[in-house]
Amino acid sequence: MAPEKSEILQGTLDLMVLRTLESMGPLHGYGMARRIEQVSEEALSINQGTIYAALVRLMQRGYISAAWGASDNNRKAKFYSITKSGRKQLNAETRNWERISAVIGRVLQLVAKS
Amino acid sequence: MFATLRSLASKIRAWFSPRKPADDEFAQELEGHWELLTQENVRRGMDPQEARRAARIRLGGLTQLKETNREARGLAFLDTLVQDIRYAFRILRKNPGFTAVCVLTLALGIGVNTAIFSVVYAVVLKPLPYPDSQQLYTIFQQRPQDASVQAGFSYLDLQDVIAQDTAFSGMTGVSAHELTLTGHGDPFIVRVSDVTPDLFSVFEQQPLLGRVFRPEDGKPGAAHAVILNETVWRSVFSADPNIIGASINLDKRVFTVVGVMPSSFSFPLLSGTREVWIPVGQDPMFESWMNLRGRHWLLTTGRLKPGVSLAEAQAELDVIGQRLAKQFPAENAGWEIHLFPLQRFFVGDVRSPLLVLLSAVALVLVIACANLANLLLTRATSRTREIAVRTALGAGRGRIVRQLLSETAVLGVLGGAAGIFLAYWGVNALGSLIPESVPQLNPIRVDHVVLFFALAISAVAIFLFGLAPAFLAAKSDPQASLREGGTRSGESIGGRRARGIFAGAEIALAMVLLVAAGLLIRSFSKLTAVSPGFDTAHIVKANIALPRDQYRTPQQWLAFTDDLLARVQAEPGMQDAALVVPTPLADGGIRVPLEIVGQPPASAAESRTGNYVAASPNYFRVMRIPLIAGRFFTADDVMSTPRITCISAAMARVYFPNQNPIGKQISFSFPSDPSVPREIVGIVGDVRDSALGEEPKPMMYVPFAQAPFWGSDLVVNSTLSTASVAGAIRKDVIAIDKDLPVGDIAKMTDVLATNVAQPKFRTELLVLFAAMALVLAATGIFGVISCSVSRRTREIGIRMALGASRNSISHMVLREALLLALAGLAVGVPCAFAASRLLSHMLFGVSANDPVTLIAVAFTLVAVAVIASFVPLRRAMRVDPIVALRYE
Repeated sequence: MAPEKSEILQGTLDLMVLRTLESMGPLHGYGMARRIEQVSEEALSINQGTIYAALVRLMQRGYISAAWGASDNNRKAKFYSITKSGRKQLNAETRNWERISAVIGRVLQLVAKS
Repeated sequence: MFATLRSLASKIRAWFSPRKPADDEFAQELEGHWELLTQENVRRGMDPQEARRAARIRLGGLTQLKETNREARGLAFLDTLVQDIRYAFRILRKNPGFTAVCVLTLALGIGVNTAIFSVVYAVVLKPLPYPDSQQLYTIFQQRPQDASVQAGFSYLDLQDVIAQDTAFSGMTGVSAHELTLTGHGDPFIVRVSDVTPDLFSVFEQQPLLGRVFRPEDGKPGAAHAVILNETVWRSVFSADPNIIGASINLDKRVFTVVGVMPSSFSFPLLSGTREVWIPVGQDPMFESWMNLRGRHWLLTTGRLKPGVSLAEAQAELDVIGQRLAKQFPAENAGWEIHLFPLQRFFVGDVRSPLLVLLSAVALVLVIACANLANLLLTRATSRTREIAVRTALGAGRGRIVRQLLSETAVLGVLGGAAGIFLAYWGVNALGSLIPESVPQLNPIRVDHVVLFFALAISAVAIFLFGLAPAFLAAKSDPQASLREGGTRSGESIGGRRARGIFAGAEIALAMVLLVAAGLLIRSFSKLTAVSPGFDTAHIVKANIALPRDQYRTPQQWLAFTDDLLARVQAEPGMQDAALVVPTPLADGGIRVPLEIVGQPPASAAESRTGNYVAASPNYFRVMRIPLIAGRFFTADDVMSTPRITCISAAMARVYFPNQNPIGKQISFSFPSDPSVPREIVGIVGDVRDSALGEEPKPMMYVPFAQAPFWGSDLVVNSTLSTASVAGAIRKDVIAIDKDLPVGDIAKMTDVLATNVAQPKFRTELLVLFAAMALVLAATGIFGVISCSVSRRTREIGIRMALGASRNSISHMVLREALLLALAGLAVGVPCAFAASRLLSHMLFGVSANDPVTLIAVAFTLVAVAVIASFVPLRRAMRVDPIVALRYE
């Protein structure tokens, strides 16, 4: 069995992958990992390989699709791109995320005030 | 939701498609990723080799990534399951002894359970072979003070009940006896069921040919009609398709065949008999009873309307019963109406003994499971190191539990399969053991329900014996096991404690079974030690049934029997011969109401009854029944002399307390013997006539010459062999009538054995189960003690090196065994008390709390515990301190 990761981390990584693919267009695994590292300002230091678990999951759910192409150094690489249902999922998840973070923010403020 | 489904579909697709291409593709993808990372590092100024190493660290473990990827792609749990099962088979093959013991133990447990269940299912649980049979109830009359008698209805009472009742959609009364069928080839005896016409509609039966009875068939004066069953139709009438409308003779009375019933239907007899049905008023033997309200002779069955509860039906029957008692106090005062499921009519008193047997085998299975759990725990101990290594290499606890459970599951499936195989064989063996008195409405066999039962108990068994060891093994601390390094000392305290508990529980359960078996053995020996009140040792009985179309009158019956008796008594060594009907224990008792002349008739509630016997003068001497007062019959007591009777001591006690009954007169009747006053001329010893375990009932004997009957038994008390007695009887019968068959010649000792066949059967089975339990418990104790000795080899060595004597070592080991046994007994005694209460109604002459049994069983178990620890004890005493200390 794969070692279980915390639910939040899994979901968050999936969300970041979708977000990255939506904004950057088709990317291969390395590109995605680099991009996520850059955007998170290197704060999120994960093994880059972890991203592939997220990619398999997203593929299975049909949120992303993959095709072989050539990378910058002209090597064969697998490029992932977001699908229509992936975009829908991203929107839903993003709204969800914003709502939760807003709620948590309010709660934290309340706690700070009292 | 949709995404989840899609994901599952994709996993299943991936699991079934070849792994290699997908694996390679991912490897290629990772390779590319690694390459890009390395280039990035080189750009940052690393030297190529360093860049490649750093890239690999950032990417993560390649093998792990591939592993995770493969698992995420397909159905990982199936992969591991297949792997686990393959591994389990390998492990089990490597330990053939262990595997054989486990499979055998389990097979025995499951086999006996399945075999006994197949009997219980066929006899007790499987519905009767009638449509909606759970709606069918036996309805009977009963007096509260005499609840053991469930009497039938008189015809008139039954008509009233049917008219007033609303809870039943139909009710039918039947009575069965034998008549001679003539007019088609050789005359022969058929079983005749006298029925009210509703029988077939109540049982929802359709005829094979012709029609069933209509209400008008039951009216007085209706044309005589008979319905044959398929067996009679095929065997006697060669399946004649034109049988409907044909005439047959039953005891010289002409009946028209109106229908043929399929062989699948039989009532009230069991299937396979030659049965015919006639309307109840048309039987030549019983037509005179139709207008007697006091006769309780019709076995009544009703079909409860759907949706009517048992309580509602009973409430209504209560009201009807009270109404009948008020309306006809002479016949019905004190009688209540009750009902029970029809199944109980057939199955009766075998239900609870069978359920006791089933509980007993269930206990055997539980003990077997405890034993297996112990074995597995012991083995888990020796595998601690293997498990520790696996844990250290990254196997999670769930993974290890799953692997160990797969092993037990494989064991369980093997054991279950062997058990089912054993059950097939056991059912055949049981079939020949089951006494004939156990009704077999349904054939006893391993059918799909029984198979399902076997599978279910196998699953439960696997769960029972597999779970605890697996969890305990997985819980053990890998560090400790690896550090200790040895293979012998790694058992956890939890495992040790669990094993002790299992062994103690085995002893407690074995105690329950042993106490039950002990009680039954003692009860059975008391039962067989009971004197039936007559000599059985040298008595041979032969059944004589005169065909009534040929021997029509009582005078003819008497002429035949007088002739036969004279011839038999003239045979050398066979002077002690007599005639009797019915023969005690062979035929049971014939209970008839009686009145004491000169006393007011007893009320219906307290009516007097006695068991009727007709016997020739020599009978009491032949059977060695003692004369207590007055005289026996003589050859002078015949039709033309005053009617006389001898009564049993019990009748004198019950109906003539503190009086001398000799000279008083009582009156009673039997179908062939009218009700007349008879003078009591003698009091004879009591006889147990219906069952050895039942107290002797009041009985009255009449001279056969004053009450001849067409059927009777010839009893001969002779020291000659049974074969020569039988030969002489056959010769004498043929000398009188060469066409007359002599059926059923038996030794009285065999009759006695048949009478106790059921208690014998259940005693033997329970003893077998108790023996299995004892052996299993002994193995359990042996396992625990020998494990504990080998665990403590070093300790024993140190003790001996420090000067401990062999005696003190043996004390140490024995103390452990005794503690185990005593703990088991402490739990077992109350359990045994509770269980034996369930047995109490099956016991004869022994109380359920019989101290002798309890003490004997306790001693047996302690002795077995000591014996079981003998081998490990010897091993402990032979420990060489030097070897033991060097061992580590």
